[in-house]
Amino acid sequence: MLWSRRSVFLGLVVGGPVVLAATLRLAELSGLLFDPRRPRPAGVVVYGMMIWLIYVRFLVPVLGVFYGTSLIADEVDDKTLTYLFTRPIQRSAVIIGKYLAYLVCTILLLLPSVVIVFFLVVPLGQGATIGAMFPTLLTDLGMLAFGLAAYGAVFAFVGARLKRPLVVGLLFALGWEPAVLIAPGYLKRATVAYYLQALVRHEMPQDSPASTLMQIFREIPPVSTSLIGLAVIVGLGLWLAGRTVEVREYVLEQ
Amino acid sequence: MTSRTRYFVIASLLVLTVGLGTGLVAYYVGVPGTFLVDRDGPAELQYVPRDTAIVAYAEVREIMTSDVHQKFRHAVPLRGDAQAQFQDQTGINIESDIDRVVASLQPLADGTTAGLVIARGRFDEVRIEALMREHGAHVEEYNGKRVIVNNEVPQQAGDTMALTFLEPGLVAVGSGRAVRAAIELQKGGENVTSNPELMNLMRSLDRGNAWAIGRIDALRTNGRLPPQIANQLPAITWFSVSSRIDSDISGTLRADARDDEAANNLRDVVRGFLALAKIQAGNRPELQTLVQSLQLSGTGKSVALSFSIPGAVLDSFGATRESAEKPPAH
Repeated sequence: MLWSRRSVFLGLVVGGPVVLAATLRLAELSGLLFDPRRPRPAGVVVYGMMIWLIYVRFLVPVLGVFYGTSLIADEVDDKTLTYLFTRPIQRSAVIIGKYLAYLVCTILLLLPSVVIVFFLVVPLGQGATIGAMFPTLLTDLGMLAFGLAAYGAVFAFVGARLKRPLVVGLLFALGWEPAVLIAPGYLKRATVAYYLQALVRHEMPQDSPASTLMQIFREIPPVSTSLIGLAVIVGLGLWLAGRTVEVREYVLEQ
Repeated sequence: MTSRTRYFVIASLLVLTVGLGTGLVAYYVGVPGTFLVDRDGPAELQYVPRDTAIVAYAEVREIMTSDVHQKFRHAVPLRGDAQAQFQDQTGINIESDIDRVVASLQPLADGTTAGLVIARGRFDEVRIEALMREHGAHVEEYNGKRVIVNNEVPQQAGDTMALTFLEPGLVAVGSGRAVRAAIELQKGGENVTSNPELMNLMRSLDRGNAWAIGRIDALRTNGRLPPQIANQLPAITWFSVSSRIDSDISGTLRADARDDEAANNLRDVVRGFLALAKIQAGNRPELQTLVQSLQLSGTGKSVALSFSIPGAVLDSFGATRESAEKPPAH
């Protein structure tokens, strides 16, 4: 899982924010990017924007889609699923084990990136001190770990159930979820983002008309509701994935 | 587990452990987030009492010579030339004599407040004393300092207006009690730099050339805010304003609420005002840049609103005033 071409690509994607943060820091130190007579962008604001735009809205769903859908689909494509199913264990245990491996890999891939970005960006522009923002970092790490767990469980089920799970997964994460979140009504409760975004402590950036609409129609469920919602999504996703693997007959194309 | 995987896991855990460990130490011990910057504020803070409710700072000379000041004078001319009047009474030319100013407001136990302004610059002590004497002031000695006291300037009950030179080129002016307290602080004692809450807030500001920090709840408890205003204010504990004034004005307004819920409510209110302002500015092109620059941010209990007023906005106000004052053509 860890050393596939997919991982190399995603590693580069996850490294992107670190490179961006390092560039901002170097630009500030060298005085090349920022006019010294004007206030530099506050590090806390930049960090909050990066958490929203890069991590919450893009990286977490994308990591979930790419890795979650591949848990079973890769074994089908490589025709190695038979070897796993011939083991003397329940079929659902296979996908649960692979899901846990996914969780460890993605957490070890994503969270160090957030920590590095935090230390590079927060001190920008005489911003808040590292110490003052440390509780926010802990909240962010926990929130992102919950996000990876929830998206991974959903896409593990999608990967186990559908034949072209990657396309469906990308449509769900980058099409359905953003579209439903800017619409009024209760449909947004059928998304992972609804519960996940309530755990983000940073102010949502007003970078586009879609963000403005999202803010207008944004409902913020209480933290307890969000945590319960995410836990239900993880439990339900894994149960459905396990059940699908138990009952479905996978046909390996020759 | 292959060696590559092992190295990946070790490197990831190392980054997480070192990062979280450093953050934890910074949280409990306090490690500055930036280096090579003046994080403890201006030296004049040593004369400001520890329990002060509001502290403000301005680099007067820089602001007075800025483009914005010139444009502002053009847009809003001062009637009666208050600046010249102040110079006649004190001998201090604000534009050329003062470099920077620290102002503070301290709530006192009897329900009153003591205001203090500490200005650093170039002052003619003899001339200032003579001018103040001409206006009814007298000189007293306090802890070895000459304090010029003027009972004729209206002050709060039991207080007077006073002025003293704390150091060469450093004048303290304000309520008699505050000026005497500043003289005492010169000899030692707890000043505002030993107030961790206020100093942490000040360190977190991008201070620019003018800033202010205030503790709303102290003023509210002290009854210094009218009840009509105090009741309307959401549960704000601290507020701060920082700005840079040169060719335009940019800065940040920040409020720290009592809890996350109060901060969310405040954000909702500000968001509503922003939406209203955007609608109102729709047919005012000169205001659109200003309104577009308003950016709401903040995490947890903190709510921040950044703004930028381009110099062109002040130009347009000046032009509007001129056109309004011109007699209609026949």
